[in-house]
Amino acid sequence: MKEFIRPTLVLLIICVIAGAVLSLIYKQTAPLIAENKLKAVEAARRHVLPDAEFFKPISDSSTVLFYEGYSADSALVGYVFSCEQYGYSSDVKTIFGLTPELMISAITVVSQSETPGLGANCTKPDFTAQFASKNPADIYVDKDGGDIQTLTGATITTRAVTNAIRETFQKLRDRL
Amino acid sequence: MKAFQEFTKGIIKENPVFVMALGLCPTLAVSTSVQNAIGMGAAATFVLVCSNILISLLKNVIPSKVRIPCFILVIASFVTIVDMTMEAYVPALHKSLGIFIPLIVVNCIILGRAEAFASKNGVFKSMLDGLGMGLGFMLAIMVIASIREILGTGALLNIHLLPASYKPMIVAILPPGAFITIGLLMGLLNIVQNKKKSKAN
Amino acid sequence: MDFSTLFIIIIGSIFINNFVISRFLGLCPYIGVSKKMDSALGMGMAVIFVMTMASTITWLIYTFFLNDATSIFGIDLTFLRTITFILSIAVLVQFVEMVIKKTAPELYKALGIYLPLITTNCAVLGVSLLNINENYNFIESIVNGAAAGVGFTLVLVLMAGIRERLEYSKVPKSMKGMPISFIVAGCMALAFLGFSGMKF
Repeated sequence: MKEFIRPTLVLLIICVIAGAVLSLIYKQTAPLIAENKLKAVEAARRHVLPDAEFFKPISDSSTVLFYEGYSADSALVGYVFSCEQYGYSSDVKTIFGLTPELMISAITVVSQSETPGLGANCTKPDFTAQFASKNPADIYVDKDGGDIQTLTGATITTRAVTNAIRETFQKLRDRL
Repeated sequence: MKAFQEFTKGIIKENPVFVMALGLCPTLAVSTSVQNAIGMGAAATFVLVCSNILISLLKNVIPSKVRIPCFILVIASFVTIVDMTMEAYVPALHKSLGIFIPLIVVNCIILGRAEAFASKNGVFKSMLDGLGMGLGFMLAIMVIASIREILGTGALLNIHLLPASYKPMIVAILPPGAFITIGLLMGLLNIVQNKKKSKAN
Repeated sequence: MDFSTLFIIIIGSIFINNFVISRFLGLCPYIGVSKKMDSALGMGMAVIFVMTMASTITWLIYTFFLNDATSIFGIDLTFLRTITFILSIAVLVQFVEMVIKKTAPELYKALGIYLPLITTNCAVLGVSLLNINENYNFIESIVNGAAAGVGFTLVLVLMAGIRERLEYSKVPKSMKGMPISFIVAGCMALAFLGFSGMKF
């Protein structure tokens, strides 16, 4: 029995000290982490609607459907939607902005795990820039008859981005 | 001079990745870009040095029966500290490295050095050992990452090194590229070692 | 019970995102134990058991003690997950070691040092963390743990078969041992890449 007391005591003391130190560091870093997460989402919204100063969420009972973007003097600058669709090997999450005339202002892909060097290039400006000024109800991948250029070797990823935007817009346009 | 050798041995002679074949999982997973390699190397070195120092300080207090759980507790605590700190101050790097940050706790290098060295040597030597091994680990990942990044994307740390006409060899940044690169590098190392041995004879 | 989700998890963890060849988890034993078929199979079985049990225990610990939304304490202790997970895995492996020593001493001898090393097998801690990241429920976590173990065993056994044959081939002197095993792993990874992009 005696030979169990010392090891158990040492383990317990180390556990308690470890727990205390970690809790301290947690208290320091947790607010920073939460702030970073908020900043990232805000940054994405501002990226697609650069003229907007603040955003007003439009919800439907429990979920946010989209955001309305307003300038400093409360003029409507546009709308921000988020959408996602499964691509080649992961969910591709896109955020897109619409002008008040319901044309795409800009898009940005916020999360994906597609094939590096192929589908993963959907985050690059070379790809996302082509969506600007297009009608979201009418975008199709060029292989499906539209004018969105497919990424080299990544038709499925391109389709995921394009179709997600179009379908989300068509589903929510009545709410605008 | 002898103390300095504790530091240098981890870099080439007893390189944890190429010579001792430890810490393979993060090495291959994180070597898709040199930036990730440096990040992982720095995080792992921090944990290794801190845990080596602490375990060396406590080596007479920890009973032999429970030494492995105690080592694990110490290492896991430092890993959690690194995890939280990275998430707060470098969120982009934290996201790229993903689950391999908490997986530093099962990096055989750290537990291995705690068991083989820190629990039997003084604090200063243990610190040097940790620094050397950590640096060796980081250099190993950086070498593999440089090869994979240049072949796979034509760029190194976002600086384009190869002409635009170079069609990137995408397989280099996919899993097969990792295995083949490290296999060839180990083979190369063997050729060099064998030449040295035959020269000595 | 959503069987289609479970089926996707199983196929996913065994083939599409194989833990060893695609996620790079569990490489040390993969290179270390795959020299002979029987030890590879024995190790594989032990790992399947440990991974399944680990998934179960860590999910329970996370849900009832750490995650503030569901825990009995109500405070956010998620930052303790690395420590609690790895400690419970260490205890679990110790327990499995005792059981194997009593019930199958030949297997115990064959596995040698590699049995306690299952604690540091990144795949075990990896699958526990992945279950949390993917927000799997209890059943999904257990199934994922088992499937990941099966995927590990599959690749381990394949590698053992190839390495046994390699003993009789003319491998260049500098490539003997680990270098050629990595090249073989690379070829296997290339083959498994064919599974990516599978959709149901």
